[in-house]
Amino acid sequence: MKIVTKAENLDNHKKYIFILKLIDDFLQKKDYQKIDLPVLSPALIPESYLEVFETEFKFLDKKEKLYLTPSPELFLKRLLAYKIGNCYYLGKSFRNSDLPSSLHSFEFTMLEFYKVNADYMNIADEVLEMLRYINKKLKTQNSKLKTKTKNQKLKNQNLKLSFDKWEKISVVEAFEKYADIFEKELFDHQLFLQKARKKGYQVENFSYEDVWSQIYVSEIEPHLGKNGYPTLIYDYPKEFAALAKLNPDGKTAQRFEFYINGIELGDCYTELADWKEQEERFLKEDKQRKKLGKINHPIDKGFIQALKYGLPDCAGIAIGVERLAMVFLGFDSIDKLKVIDIIL
Amino acid sequence: MKINAGNLKKGDFILYQNEIWQVQKAEFYAPGKGAALMKTKIWNVKTSKNIDITFKSGEEVEIVEVESRLMVFLYKDNENLYFMDEKTFNQYSVPLTAVSGLEKYLKEGEKLYVYIFNDVPLSVRPPLSVRLKVVKAEEAVKGDTVSSAKKPVTLETGAVIMAPLFIKEGDIVIVNPETGEYTGREGK
Repeated sequence: MKIVTKAENLDNHKKYIFILKLIDDFLQKKDYQKIDLPVLSPALIPESYLEVFETEFKFLDKKEKLYLTPSPELFLKRLLAYKIGNCYYLGKSFRNSDLPSSLHSFEFTMLEFYKVNADYMNIADEVLEMLRYINKKLKTQNSKLKTKTKNQKLKNQNLKLSFDKWEKISVVEAFEKYADIFEKELFDHQLFLQKARKKGYQVENFSYEDVWSQIYVSEIEPHLGKNGYPTLIYDYPKEFAALAKLNPDGKTAQRFEFYINGIELGDCYTELADWKEQEERFLKEDKQRKKLGKINHPIDKGFIQALKYGLPDCAGIAIGVERLAMVFLGFDSIDKLKVIDIIL
Repeated sequence: MKINAGNLKKGDFILYQNEIWQVQKAEFYAPGKGAALMKTKIWNVKTSKNIDITFKSGEEVEIVEVESRLMVFLYKDNENLYFMDEKTFNQYSVPLTAVSGLEKYLKEGEKLYVYIFNDVPLSVRPPLSVRLKVVKAEEAVKGDTVSSAKKPVTLETGAVIMAPLFIKEGDIVIVNPETGEYTGREGK
């Protein structure tokens, strides 16, 4: 791997830094408390679909394993249990094994915010307001810079989107509309895999989750956030509930993701507060991690303790900030925002 | 040979739904639900069409050993381009449908890489750029100095491209043969 200096991106980087400031301004105006957090932790939330970075703290003649946090969730939810109220983290998160691409880096900037006495659709309102705010402020700044190069004018035309409302579509509706997969097939693992095989997907030796995800990315994602509004796609099958509360139907979870130009920008849950169910999901995920041969990190038991103590009703969202900036600034890759880049 | 889709890279040839495709773009994607994926853009060597396909990174994909052999472009007719292998003097024909317009920018006698599988020519590797003589160019209107303005010019192969106003008959221009875009003029 090597370090690449890209001073030529400084102008882009300044705009990215400006967007970070807009996010801070917006959330602080709305009384969210900014929290600075550790990125090294001795225990984590077990999540089977991602890999973590492992390191060691050496002191005297001892050593202790530490892990870079793939998300600030475990810390923020502890604080929420202590009733600190609406809060957010804007900083680095880490995911091992993710090859760098135009949309992702193994080290990335994440915005995660939580609102109490709220569910996922309340967060959706908040996010839309934030997008509108960023868009408006960028436009004002751009008109100030109008004398700049042709190039910049061109780039700012790329986002022909209105933030007046969401285009809302449920996962069930989206599979029917874009992939010709009906509700009955979507939730029944066997029927789903049969349908996938008919569509030409490889299903042998793959799980429902794997094939589901492949079809979602191939056939659904490319349509999202392209109809003049950002798209909010909601109510995922319970297999993708992660830390989200289930809907009364028992089949879907209160989770949404939002998209602009086919690019996923954020992932939101109404947070699961039931500690027993959370513990069960953790054990399942941990087992799956072991099965997949992933780094065997300790489960964060304090997190379960915090839930036992009582997580307030709340919802939260994680947003990839480089991606968000890339979309707003009209770039085709997050690389264009970076002045120092670590590449393979 | 089978490999995991996670190891696909640009330039690889693969067998997908019984046809041979070349990988144009391969990008890793972890959607945060289910397994990691490999998003690819693949190019059909027969029809010259591009499609987007997402593989599971752990999915097996059949790699095809396609050879690229340097050959001389002889001539074309309404159906094929004809090439000669200079070592064996064997002639090969590549259907026009496989090159999607590339033929408009190829000069007879030019050397190009032809993709061969089981001794059957599949397609032609598009050169990054070609140098062609301008055989017809209208004089630019005097006083028109807008640098972005363009005019049509005819090249020695018969192709018509848009070039800057200062381009004259007899100039050698550099063209991207995949897009037909003017990219520069050869210095005299």
